[in-house]
Amino acid sequence: MPHVSTTVTAIFAILLVAMILSLALEEKIHAKKSVIVGLFAAVALFLAAAFGLVRPETVEILGHPVTLPVYIPGIDWEVIAIILGSSLFVDVTSKCGLFTWIAIKLTKASRGDPLKLLVYYGVMTVVFSAVLNNVTAMIIVGALSGVSLAKLRRTNQLLGFLLIEALLTNVGGLLTLISSVPNIIIGNAAGITFVTFFIKASPYVVVATAVTIYMGARLFGIEALKDDAAKAEAQSLVAGFDENDGIESAGFFRFGTAMTGLFIIAMASASVTPYVKDLGMGYVALTFAVIMLTRYKATADRFYQAIDWDLLAFFGCLFIVVNMMEHALVLELIGEGLKPIIGLGETVGVGVLLVASAVASSVTDNIPLAAMLAKILGGLGLASDSPFWWAVIFGANLGGNITPIGSASTLVAVTIIHKHKLPLSFAGFVKAAFPFAVLQLAMAAGYVLVVL
Amino acid sequence: MTKLDQFESVFKSADKAVYTYDRPTFDRVLLVTDLNEADAADIAIRIRSFLTTIDQPGTQWENLSGDAFGSVRGLLESIEERKPDLIVTYRHLHSEAWRWPHSLGEYLDVMTQATSVPVLVLPHPDADRALPHSIKDTDRVMAITNHLTGDNRLVDMAVTFTEPGGTCWLTHVESQAVFERYIDAVSKIPAIDTDVAREALAEQLLKEPRDFIAACRAEIDAQGLSIKIEEVVVMGRQLDEYGELIAKREIDLLVLHTKDDDQLAMHGAAYALAVELRGIPLLML
Repeated sequence: MPHVSTTVTAIFAILLVAMILSLALEEKIHAKKSVIVGLFAAVALFLAAAFGLVRPETVEILGHPVTLPVYIPGIDWEVIAIILGSSLFVDVTSKCGLFTWIAIKLTKASRGDPLKLLVYYGVMTVVFSAVLNNVTAMIIVGALSGVSLAKLRRTNQLLGFLLIEALLTNVGGLLTLISSVPNIIIGNAAGITFVTFFIKASPYVVVATAVTIYMGARLFGIEALKDDAAKAEAQSLVAGFDENDGIESAGFFRFGTAMTGLFIIAMASASVTPYVKDLGMGYVALTFAVIMLTRYKATADRFYQAIDWDLLAFFGCLFIVVNMMEHALVLELIGEGLKPIIGLGETVGVGVLLVASAVASSVTDNIPLAAMLAKILGGLGLASDSPFWWAVIFGANLGGNITPIGSASTLVAVTIIHKHKLPLSFAGFVKAAFPFAVLQLAMAAGYVLVVL
Repeated sequence: MTKLDQFESVFKSADKAVYTYDRPTFDRVLLVTDLNEADAADIAIRIRSFLTTIDQPGTQWENLSGDAFGSVRGLLESIEERKPDLIVTYRHLHSEAWRWPHSLGEYLDVMTQATSVPVLVLPHPDADRALPHSIKDTDRVMAITNHLTGDNRLVDMAVTFTEPGGTCWLTHVESQAVFERYIDAVSKIPAIDTDVAREALAEQLLKEPRDFIAACRAEIDAQGLSIKIEEVVVMGRQLDEYGELIAKREIDLLVLHTKDDDQLAMHGAAYALAVELRGIPLLML
């Protein structure tokens, strides 16, 4: 490892701060994440080469010497594969109509009662966030909320529904290892398996969901229908929804349903399944995506066009930036800064790290935070069951509930809210969401400290 | 297209119009003619045997013969006074214009627009244009519109007038000319694939009435009415399509809307149909 001067570390630290600020101002500067981080990655690589921090290395892979460009080893390809495979799988599977079928079935099961609708949609948001991703979950449940509340002539309650659903996407994002990108990054770095993650996170998710829905119903005045005439009218209004309308083919519907179940099982057992454990969850996700694509084998390119390349390029470039920060000893510097927090012990230290992660995630993307902290905590040699990992996981996910720019799903919720011409400013969101976020974080801190 | 829009479209498409059969009642039926009382009474007997489906034990039948009114105002006042649930009449009252098939006559024209009462229009008794199967029974009834979805009243009327064991055609003719005009506009927008738009739009425009007819059929079956519901959902030139449909199926009664919220005159297509289709009775709502 070449010697790195303090000046060089300082230059890279400034670069990192500038990148985080640019990401926080993404909406203001009208630039995609991938472009912002791509520019910083290019500059960081150039400076790293100029300062002699990196050079191409020849490594032996499967018996073959390969000279890799310096930006290749820095990327966590497993994370990229999981995200690419999962998003492709979800995109193709959603065409079978399963998710809209569930959504409409639940709408009809509520009989149009607002409180039941809120409970069903809330639980559905959490489950969809866990199984799909929180952005897709928000889109599905948010779109349905707009349509069903308009049908029930209750658009005055739409703002409350959308806000509660947005807050629940980040709770649902805690349920499994693949439910959110910070989970994948931290879980991978810590070596937490899918099953362990689920067992440890699910009790919190159940309680936080119930508390959020209860509190939301009280704060937004969403109550059960009381008189029989109103109940009958509401039931007749939702009776017109046809859950089978979005199903193009019964065979594909059954296939998609079975594949979704198998996908969850395969992901959950990837770390113990013979041969598969050597290939990783990225392999599982990509394989399932390819199997689903056979249904659209002649038009698969349509799905490739729909892939969120901005997100994938963002990840790739972000890993490069973080890798360069590691070479420039910026991560070591941050790690030194974190040591006093970690030194506070597994009670105060964990609590402080959780809150700090949440605050940082509320104003900027939680993915760079997760990527950096994964490297730093990994460098400290923490055990996979250390509560510090969980502090970052809970903080990075729940911090997204403090501001509308804290997570992609809250941003989507605000977009839907504005699409329906409902008034909600940045400050208005913070004012409405803050009590929920504080309660969720307090519960998370207690849970991590007492239970995990 | 965003994913949000995609899912909104899926949910909006899944939200279908519900049909609940609500049988209209006809307690008072008013026969308006320009004949003398004796001739009007003869026609009334024929009409009662024709309209058995609505003729209940308590139904009051009343004749308003030719000498009971001499002006449109007088006719409207008589109708207002009697408050009928159904008016039965024919074109060109107190006029010889029935000889030229180019209009409806001032009485019928005003009656259909100035009152909210359904008007059953018979072929003119002197014109000799009634088709052989006309005014005999109502086992073949057809409801026509260019917007069937959610039109419960039209379906209620058509079903109620159909005899048990008969067939009720629910038709929806989407205007090909209007469709082509929109597609022509789409073809000039680079961001929209014209072929995809043509296929998807046509499919969706015809899917909605088909779904509604399926809902009507299910409701009629659930009510235990022994009426067969047939579907005719096509895209074409409305007047031509209706004319062909009626001729092919030997329709006994045609049910259609005549009122247009956007104008004082009769609904454009309804007027043309009412003028041209002189061989069978029309129920004008």
